[in-house]
Amino acid sequence: MNAMNEFATLPLRLKTYMAEDDGWGRVAGRETHRRLVDFVEANPGVLVFRISNENVRRIDISFASESIVEVARRYRGKKGFCFIGLTDDDQRENWAAAAQRAGQPIMSWDERGRLTVLGPQASAGNMDAFEFALGRQVAKAAEYAGARKNMSITNASSKFKQLWEQGFLLRRESAAESGGVEYVYMAIK
Amino acid sequence: MTARMEETIIQLPARWTNASVLEDVLRSCPSAHEIPSAIVRFRIPEGCQLMTDAAVRLLSLLNQLDHATRRVVVEFEEDENGVLGYLGRAGFFESLSSTVEVTPKRPVYSAALQYRGRNPRLVEVERIDRNCRDGNLLTRLTDAIARACSRRSDVSELQGAAWTILAELIDNVFSHSQTPLDGFAALQVYRRGNCLKVAVSDSGLGLLETLRPALRKEGSRLGKLPDIDLLVEVFRRGVSRHGASRGCGLKGCADKAIKFRAELDVRLPQVRVLLVPGTGGYTPNTAFCYSGLPLIWGTHICFTLALD
Repeated sequence: MNAMNEFATLPLRLKTYMAEDDGWGRVAGRETHRRLVDFVEANPGVLVFRISNENVRRIDISFASESIVEVARRYRGKKGFCFIGLTDDDQRENWAAAAQRAGQPIMSWDERGRLTVLGPQASAGNMDAFEFALGRQVAKAAEYAGARKNMSITNASSKFKQLWEQGFLLRRESAAESGGVEYVYMAIK
Repeated sequence: MTARMEETIIQLPARWTNASVLEDVLRSCPSAHEIPSAIVRFRIPEGCQLMTDAAVRLLSLLNQLDHATRRVVVEFEEDENGVLGYLGRAGFFESLSSTVEVTPKRPVYSAALQYRGRNPRLVEVERIDRNCRDGNLLTRLTDAIARACSRRSDVSELQGAAWTILAELIDNVFSHSQTPLDGFAALQVYRRGNCLKVAVSDSGLGLLETLRPALRKEGSRLGKLPDIDLLVEVFRRGVSRHGASRGCGLKGCADKAIKFRAELDVRLPQVRVLLVPGTGGYTPNTAFCYSGLPLIWGTHICFTLALD
């Protein structure tokens, strides 16, 4: 697989995977989850799915929990799912409640590229590293350590690893200049 | 209450009867599900005005007793100009098991069938049929709430929140039921009381009956809590049989309902809590929290909202 494919993103129109305009209840959420998994598995080269909620009128918390939040949790660390242009306050609150309960952050980007993290937030100790990664196409621990005073590569690496494990970032292996392997981290967007 | 060898009489009071008043009546009687008598007679006197939370809960209880092969009689003292007429209009008799006897007689035609959907202050008793989910029910209920609360400045947020709350409550009917008996939802606006009541009722296992085995399996300390405390935790912290990562539904409901200062009344087979908005979230109003109540199968939830 080449680098281009690994960075591939794909729009995901949530409504396509719902039986109705309203996402209501666990059973409907599980059905949507099943369809979403089929879609993700049919696109193995895609790293980030950019979700549009266009034509989704309403969703309740159970539906949110069983559908997107569960898919994001299932693929945590391997693939990312983010909302683009989620403007409805009520929906945002429900996605956030489901994400919070699952301990699975979901990135939500507005039209101007501003981020709201739905659900759990990055810890205070990792926030700077998270913001560093958000500002770049890709981020390496060595770059972050180099950009901060008194930050060892080990410490920077540990912060990025935690953010990756917690579902805030994605990562892939890359060949280091030294000849070894290093991780490259990227935001879910 | 009077109990003869073969008959138990449950007498409702001649006044406005909400769920709390109904519970007081039931607590003063032996549990209708557990008594030996074959006949259970409910007497509804002149002047008894059943509010929607009490009506829906009573409807479930009547159908349950009938299902348990009791002979159930509902005696109305007034004709159709009184509560009998109101219940007819609210669709009560359409959902009441046909083998429950009604005296003097069931309304000959259904006012609910004729006028259904025409009164903006009423959403008639709606059956929640697990085999056939009616997606429009939620819209009808939330539209009625929005119309009733149009004077509130937060009506648009309220409408969205009400949809989520009802979606979660009705979805719970599907997940917890496991019964051949239907669940019900109904809404009524009380202009003079400046409130609106939405009641959702099912005759299934009840929240705690499905939750406790899961908590025991997980070895959770919550499993050791008494019923009332566990029920409060379900709404305050979110506890679920689906595991730690799920179960935000009812807590999410409570988080939304509290923003609008709604009261939540939750009745399970033998326990009831009334949750009122406090500073740090919902707190139980202990004056209305009981355990060891007369058995009513299922989960019965009502939320009461101020109109302005």
